[in-house]
Amino acid sequence: MQTTPPPHANTPAVDGQVRRRALLRGAAIGAGSVVLLARHGRAAADKPEYGGKLRVAYNLAPGSLDPTLAVSGGDTFYWKQAYDVLIDNDQRLTPRPDRSLAESWDLSDSRAVTLKLRKGVTFHDGTAFNAGAVKATIDRILDPATRSAARAEISPVERVEAVEEHLVRLHLSRPWGPATTMLGGRAGAINSPSAVKALGVDYRFRPSGTGPFKVAEFVSGSMVRLVRNEHYWGRDEAGNPLPYLDEIVLNIVPDQTVQTNALKAGEMDLVFLPYRDAPQFQDKPGYNVNVFENAGTVYVLLYNRSKPPLDNINLRLAIAHAVNPAAINKAAYFGRASVATGGMWPPSTWAYDGTVPRPSYNPAKAREYLALGGRPNGFEVDAVSYPSEANTPSAEIVRAQLAAVGIKMNLRMYDVTTASEKFYYGGEAPLYLSGWGHVPEPSSSNMLYRSNGYYNASKLPDARLDALLDAGESTVDIAQRKAIYRKVDEIVLGEAMATPLIYGTAYAAAPKRVRGLESVFTYDIRMYLHRLWLEKT
Amino acid sequence: MQRYILRRLAQLVPTLLLITMMVFALMHAIPGDPARMMVGAGDSLDEAQLAVVRREYNLDRPVPVQYAIWLGRALTGDLGRSSANQRRVGEELLLRASVTFELGLFAWLIAAAIAIPAGVIAAVHRGRMPDLVATLVAVGAVAMPGFWVGIMLILLFGVRLGWLPTQGYVPLGSNFGEGLRHMVLPAVALGITSAALMMRQMRSALLEVLSLDYIRTARAKGLAKWSVVIGHALRNAMLPVVTVMGLEVGRIFAGAVVIETLFGVPGMGRLMVQAVFQHDFTVVQGCVLVMASAVLAANFVTDIMYTVLDPRIRYGG
Repeated sequence: MQTTPPPHANTPAVDGQVRRRALLRGAAIGAGSVVLLARHGRAAADKPEYGGKLRVAYNLAPGSLDPTLAVSGGDTFYWKQAYDVLIDNDQRLTPRPDRSLAESWDLSDSRAVTLKLRKGVTFHDGTAFNAGAVKATIDRILDPATRSAARAEISPVERVEAVEEHLVRLHLSRPWGPATTMLGGRAGAINSPSAVKALGVDYRFRPSGTGPFKVAEFVSGSMVRLVRNEHYWGRDEAGNPLPYLDEIVLNIVPDQTVQTNALKAGEMDLVFLPYRDAPQFQDKPGYNVNVFENAGTVYVLLYNRSKPPLDNINLRLAIAHAVNPAAINKAAYFGRASVATGGMWPPSTWAYDGTVPRPSYNPAKAREYLALGGRPNGFEVDAVSYPSEANTPSAEIVRAQLAAVGIKMNLRMYDVTTASEKFYYGGEAPLYLSGWGHVPEPSSSNMLYRSNGYYNASKLPDARLDALLDAGESTVDIAQRKAIYRKVDEIVLGEAMATPLIYGTAYAAAPKRVRGLESVFTYDIRMYLHRLWLEKT
Repeated sequence: MQRYILRRLAQLVPTLLLITMMVFALMHAIPGDPARMMVGAGDSLDEAQLAVVRREYNLDRPVPVQYAIWLGRALTGDLGRSSANQRRVGEELLLRASVTFELGLFAWLIAAAIAIPAGVIAAVHRGRMPDLVATLVAVGAVAMPGFWVGIMLILLFGVRLGWLPTQGYVPLGSNFGEGLRHMVLPAVALGITSAALMMRQMRSALLEVLSLDYIRTARAKGLAKWSVVIGHALRNAMLPVVTVMGLEVGRIFAGAVVIETLFGVPGMGRLMVQAVFQHDFTVVQGCVLVMASAVLAANFVTDIMYTVLDPRIRYGG
């Protein structure tokens, strides 16, 4: 997973779990289960067919195909096809030993994680996967000179010990609650040490993992072509070898309108749809659309609490009560997203708690808080944001809604990198209208709320939050963790440190001959192409 | 003539220096910590790792020093590595520039192939139906932004009719037919504005020439109408057209930035857009260097073309 989700609104933020509704035509799909579709009146028990080439469009170009050096959430889309991870998680974020590089693991020791590795697995370069490879990969991440963004995700790991050929132990400096999630992300994707060594800086685009597809060709700015790994160890439920497809071509198509048109023209077999285009394909007989609701917090108000006037809690609460997310959903998301009802973790994640008291749209209350804050006639506030199809109209709506209670918002739009820089480090404005990707593991909120958090714009020490976040990170039991993060949400939402407004929806669309679409989404809203197959016509 | 060429060539050097210096300054004028900007919004690197970035890219040194380092390396042919993906900028540019040149050349040829005959016909039939139609189409083409024309072409020929691919690029060397098919729509979208401008220039230049005395003389000699137009008028009328055609090279490069993104052509325009958003200084710098060189070279060739077309032009010095 990305513990550092980029606030990219153009990366569909999705996860499908608890309230997930898979609108595959004529079939109700249970989360995480594989259900075969009844189609054209045919019986459901279709046997997957092997072979064929799948053409997929994606809007972000890869910065790295090597997960250790992966930077953006977009990179995950690429390396995911070529790698396995130590502990794979299903769409509910439940560890799945049958799909993982580790067959079993022991978390009982608070100072170590011991993993028993799968035997008979080979890297794409032909070398054997073993404890030495795990040690080499994680040592490389921990070396600051590697500049791996995954380093922050495994910060409790002190040292790696290759105990036996297929037994590895991670020694910890402190108890590690989110271990299984973190070892399911880029930090748990294992590289072939000999290929890393042999290729040096070129390894970045000629990676060697253990995954179902091998990188065959990379054309900068254009596409990544992967071919079937004939020696892949994975099997489907019926015992057939995975994957089914011979070849996948991941095309870089930056413009979403162009992607939609390419799908219509038959030049692409699988694309993420923008909100605007979803009904076109849902109503079209030739296509399947997989829908994920409550997919990440796609629109949120973030406050810098050390910058006036929003150092005043009442004025922050006035803003939080003046904004009507339902209107934003209707105008900017075509009513297809959801109004946020909790914290940064939407109902599709285990950390979601819809009973936490939080500000909701109430202009009368907003005026009360203005009076309490000593500014009964309103005030002026600077804000930054970045343009996207949804953000641009959303920002206008927020501006109008704030104006209705007398708050004048001076908005400046920058590109996403600049806007983030300016808010988190530049102190340019006390208010940021932003997206926050999909964060299924709540310990990632350390970055936003911890005193020294990378994304804590206020840089204000808060002993209460630090203690809670420390406890959350070092607790393994999910029920206990949920109770801890509920307390985090009570503070964060109640004192208006962040006000989530909209939970997103994501759509994956494909022509009907692409089968297995119900398996396509990962918990972190990327795609798994392992189980897709093409119907021969 | 030779001295003239040498002098013109020498003038290119300070122009290029100035352009790269300005771009370098502009990229560094973006507020914020360049190391964090390079790393990107989605990343959490700690201070130890950021220090590695700063050292690696000399970000801890003054901007003029950074420029001098870049220039020194560029002179030896080393354009550095991309901060976003560590690829060699020189190699990447070679790959991408060839695509853009191919696309640009196509667009330019299409523009010229439409503009010159259309301009001639419009001028000969001045004020009558062919002229009106050509003028109307030209005014429309100038008014329509290239990206909009591109989307319309995609909808018509790709989605509705399904005749031509709307996405991607196939090298002409690997499959000539497919490469050509992929090139048609982006080249038309890119060239259409240039075609309109060239056509207007062709028309007005030809009209001017057709009203000159020597044309009346030629007609009085009893030469056929088209023999006068093609044989006597066209060559002299080409002079301003060539100027515009040269200038259009710059426009085509600028247009490629948008058109390549629209049609999924992995050229230099798209590379530059991406690099600007990623604050990938070395790549932006490299792109600008190549594009500026190409535009300057086109202007240079245009100047030389004058002498070929019009021997009356003398170069002093």
